Amino acid sequence: MSGALLASNVLLWILVLVMGGVILALVRQIGVLYERVAPAGALVVGSGPKAGEAAPEFTVGDLANDEHRVGGKRSDDLSTLLFFLSPTCPVCKTLLPALKSIAREERKWLNVLLASDGARKEHEAFVAEYRLQQFPYLLSSELGLGYRVGRLPHAVLIDPEGIIRSTGLVNSREHLESLFEANERGVATLQEYMAAEQSREEEVA
Amino acid sequence: MDTVIALVVVLSLALLWVVAAVHKIRGFEVFAVVLADYRLVPARATGACAAAVIALELGLGICLLIPATRSLALAGSALLLVAYAAAIAVNLHRGRRFIDCGCAGVAGHQALSGWLVARNLLLAALALAAMLPVPARPLIWLDAITVAAAVGAAALLYAVSNRLIANGPDLARLRG
Repeated sequence: MSGALLASNVLLWILVLVMGGVILALVRQIGVLYERVAPAGALVVGSGPKAGEAAPEFTVGDLANDEHRVGGKRSDDLSTLLFFLSPTCPVCKTLLPALKSIAREERKWLNVLLASDGARKEHEAFVAEYRLQQFPYLLSSELGLGYRVGRLPHAVLIDPEGIIRSTGLVNSREHLESLFEANERGVATLQEYMAAEQSREEEVA
Repeated sequence: MDTVIALVVVLSLALLWVVAAVHKIRGFEVFAVVLADYRLVPARATGACAAAVIALELGLGICLLIPATRSLALAGSALLLVAYAAAIAVNLHRGRRFIDCGCAGVAGHQALSGWLVARNLLLAALALAAMLPVPARPLIWLDAITVAAAVGAAALLYAVSNRLIANGPDLARLRG
């Protein structure tokens, strides 16, 4: 009798653990599905526009209700840094000072646009709190969908001809700066640049 | 209550604190921003407070494992969990529900919600319950299986509930 109870007890624990694992896998899948259908925050799907391709063209309104054209040839000869962010993303916030200094240092050739989607009120509070009034703040889910924006923060560098120079997830100030490095050196993506850097370091070591 | 149940609670909490602290150390800069977003400590003291929170979590995790300091650490755990719940509740009340929770595991993707308050209060209640005196009995090998499996199941369920809470706002967005 006690042998049977013992076997059933151990077996039940195993089942509980396996079911816990299965449920966790299921909720993660559900989370990924939500992210896929809601643009800002989706997983990188790899099917978005790549470096060297023409940037998808959009005309979207910002928080101040001004219209901005993203992509396409520009008459003012400025490149565009499209920075996708969200008030719920702490990593984005750590990058804001770097973004501001880049916008200041590179203003001769670079036009910085912030982009997000969701409830307007939250974004207005966010802009006020982090003093982002100097940047046009685009609010459009089509934009995020068009550029297949994966995890945030995501940056896209578009040249004056409307060609994407580099694109990718940016997690740190170094990432953000390497976006420009990638542009100057003509490397396709940020990740490719980072990989090249890493292998070079390994060679040295 | 049986001693095994108390042991499961203690070990699960210890695991929770250590994992939480490790996550915060690995993403210290991000955690400092999250903490600043809570708007509860002066901006200048954010870095020091972030370090203090991590030290506290790590300390609690270790003290829970030492029998001599266990009841003190349980009380401390309940207190810290209630403090977290209060911090979240204050920001929900202020309408700052868009800030990130900073909870372990899904950092960067979990907006504040009432569920997080409820979860923390439930965990605090469990910590207090584990402080109740339990009749001593000799532990047998089967208890080891029970404890190990129950802690594992608790960790899995915690991850599941975290993920479900994180999914909440996305679902609300889809429903429009």
